[in-house]
Amino acid sequence: MNVRRIAAVATKEWKETVRDRLFLLMAFLLPAVWMAVFGYGLVLDVEHVPFAVLDRDQSSLSRDYLHRFMESRYFDYRGSVHDERDIDRLLGDTAIRMAMVVPDRFEERLLAGRPVTVQTLLDGTFPLHADTLKGYVIAVNRAFTQELLAGFLGRTRGLSPEEARRFAEPVSLETRYLYNQEVRSTWSMVPALIMFSLMVASPLLTALGVVREKETGSIYNIYSATVSKAEFLIGKLVPYFVISTINVVVLWSLAVWLFRVPFKGSFTVFFMASVLFVLCATGIGLIISLLVRTQMAALIITIIVAMVPTILFSGLLVPVSSLSPGAQVQAHLFPAMYYTDVVRGSFLKGLDLKAMWTDLAALAGFAVALRLVAYGLFTKRPKT
Amino acid sequence: MNGFCPELVWEERVNRNDGSSFEVVRLWALRLFVMTRKELLQLGRDVPLLLFLLYSFSLSVYISGAGIAMQLSNASLVVHDGDHSESSRELIHRFREPYFRFDGEVQNSKEGMARLDQGTAMVLLDIPPRFHESILGREPVAVQLQVDTTNAPQGLSAAAYAARIVGGFSSDLTQSRLGVATGDDMQMPVVNSAHRVWFNQDQDETWFQSISHILRMITLFGFLLPAAALVREKEHGTVEQLLVSPVTPLQIMLSKVLAMTLVILAATALAMVTVLKPVFGVPIKGSVSLFFLVTMLYSFTIAGLGLFAATVTKNQAQVGMLALLVISPMLLLSGITTPFEAMPPWVQSLMALSPLRYYIDVTYGVLLKGVGLELLWDSILTMALLGGVLFGLGLRRFRRQFE
Repeated sequence: MNVRRIAAVATKEWKETVRDRLFLLMAFLLPAVWMAVFGYGLVLDVEHVPFAVLDRDQSSLSRDYLHRFMESRYFDYRGSVHDERDIDRLLGDTAIRMAMVVPDRFEERLLAGRPVTVQTLLDGTFPLHADTLKGYVIAVNRAFTQELLAGFLGRTRGLSPEEARRFAEPVSLETRYLYNQEVRSTWSMVPALIMFSLMVASPLLTALGVVREKETGSIYNIYSATVSKAEFLIGKLVPYFVISTINVVVLWSLAVWLFRVPFKGSFTVFFMASVLFVLCATGIGLIISLLVRTQMAALIITIIVAMVPTILFSGLLVPVSSLSPGAQVQAHLFPAMYYTDVVRGSFLKGLDLKAMWTDLAALAGFAVALRLVAYGLFTKRPKT
Repeated sequence: MNGFCPELVWEERVNRNDGSSFEVVRLWALRLFVMTRKELLQLGRDVPLLLFLLYSFSLSVYISGAGIAMQLSNASLVVHDGDHSESSRELIHRFREPYFRFDGEVQNSKEGMARLDQGTAMVLLDIPPRFHESILGREPVAVQLQVDTTNAPQGLSAAAYAARIVGGFSSDLTQSRLGVATGDDMQMPVVNSAHRVWFNQDQDETWFQSISHILRMITLFGFLLPAAALVREKEHGTVEQLLVSPVTPLQIMLSKVLAMTLVILAATALAMVTVLKPVFGVPIKGSVSLFFLVTMLYSFTIAGLGLFAATVTKNQAQVGMLALLVISPMLLLSGITTPFEAMPPWVQSLMALSPLRYYIDVTYGVLLKGVGLELLWDSILTMALLGGVLFGLGLRRFRRQFE
């Protein structure tokens, strides 16, 4: 190992990067732009769901009932229909996602103390959506029922409104939301977006590094030079490691100053984990670069390898504990999951090193293993 | 070269003939064909890339289809049962799979909080002492729920299910106190909901996830393959050689689009034949040929976008960065990962420019809902317009750069 030779390779790589202005600009711009666009734009709450109603009763009680849906921010009223066939058409065209059918004699039956059934037709193409909607409808129905029931008991049993209400709801649930009391999806998304931006942008920086030299033939200079395998690989990584580390600080600042996400943990631990994670991410790019022969293959494989598991298996959208066993294995084989734990733990939960050392150890393990694989794959004496 | 490509020999003969307009068209098509063949051959020789393409449209579709459930599933639940009575057990028993997974009891709330901190549990249910007594004594009683909302939507969903479960428990108690039988004769004013979920009755999430994975792959490959192929020619300087040959810029661009569209259609067919139908049993309700026709149109559109990106960049590193800049918002904001209606208005108007937005509607419309052109023509038309404009812009820039 010779530091001067590493510095020479790093300087060469750095100059190449800096001279490509567009590339350099995007290397810094991309993570910040994502953070801004997804931080503001990626809303996961199911709200403003377009729906239509078919009111067969047309009574004051049925209007009162439907009004609760129209006024809710979860639903977006798109009009009434008079025929069930219209519902078919609207659902098929995705003009609405839900339709409610109130049966006739709705008011009459309820006032007589008899149950009624309201039909809800849901678009099931997006199952999460349909499921959440069901939950909303049931919640509205329960609140409506409890009021009816309290009124009914008051009338038939002569209970006071307070007694009737207690009778109607003997057991209640008090929910406390931890770590994110107002349940803002920005607070849960933005820290995870730091992970996303680093994981998707960093491998691409290194992915073309070696394969570009292979394609243009300049790699033969390296083969014949005195620089050793390890020196070459380290030198290659240095510039991109520096860029990604600067991005860590930029992303952290955006999260704290722009999105006002509370940072409750220790910055040192967060920064340590980020450095390890950047080493992992750049390592993945480097390995792909060593495996393929053309830049086109390196580019496509890196983008897909970086992007798809990061969206699906990192805990960004779905908690890893909820994945199927097979997908959980895949999640554990990919460094992003551990870093997501650290980022959310540092920002929202305020955890210290003691609670997160396993994640850091896993990241360190990945960083080392990826280096070893790269070292094993690179050879200065290729078979033509 | 002529020995290598027999078509060219024939072409020279046609050239000398100075043929009719029919001959001109034939010649034009022939050149396009030769160029397309060249692209396919070049791609075919890139073994790692081909293997990866195969993986992306087969095994990878299976993994994401089978593995991802955005619906609340197996949320890890720990319970602090301060009562240990018949009623508390009955309530805990109602928190069950597939929504919750009972992950044990804790001795006190502090231990439960530690589990939430570590992330080994998502929900802590706290049942107070004297729970059973209160119920028997007809006093109102509250149970507490602590939810980890570091992942806000999942946390909310867990809270909603818990409210549903406790609400059900509560109204069952009311009913038994009123001493009435359940059923239609019940003398209680209750609004029940009957849900009918259309297009996917069992809410089988594998259908949604596997199809959306294919859409993701089509988008990524559809953009990157032609874009990288064009930039590579610029980087190596072979594009100048092409331009001094008899082929026109339109033919150069079109041949790349054609070759990559063919590859993508074949890959999509592979995914449908090997994974969607046999493994997940996705009911293909609409017309398969319409789906492939629209997929072809979409590949063309997205390739237009990719070629446009290729004309504004100089090398493959740049085009990669640009691809990430353009594609990741499309993938995350067009409505495959999250519901579109909930997006802020500015995202919705921005995404009106994303061809994927329309392709999603058409794909789910054809495959799951079984609707046809009569409802989907507007989406298809918008997509075609976007594709035409993008392709035209790319072609204009390409011509200006080299002529």
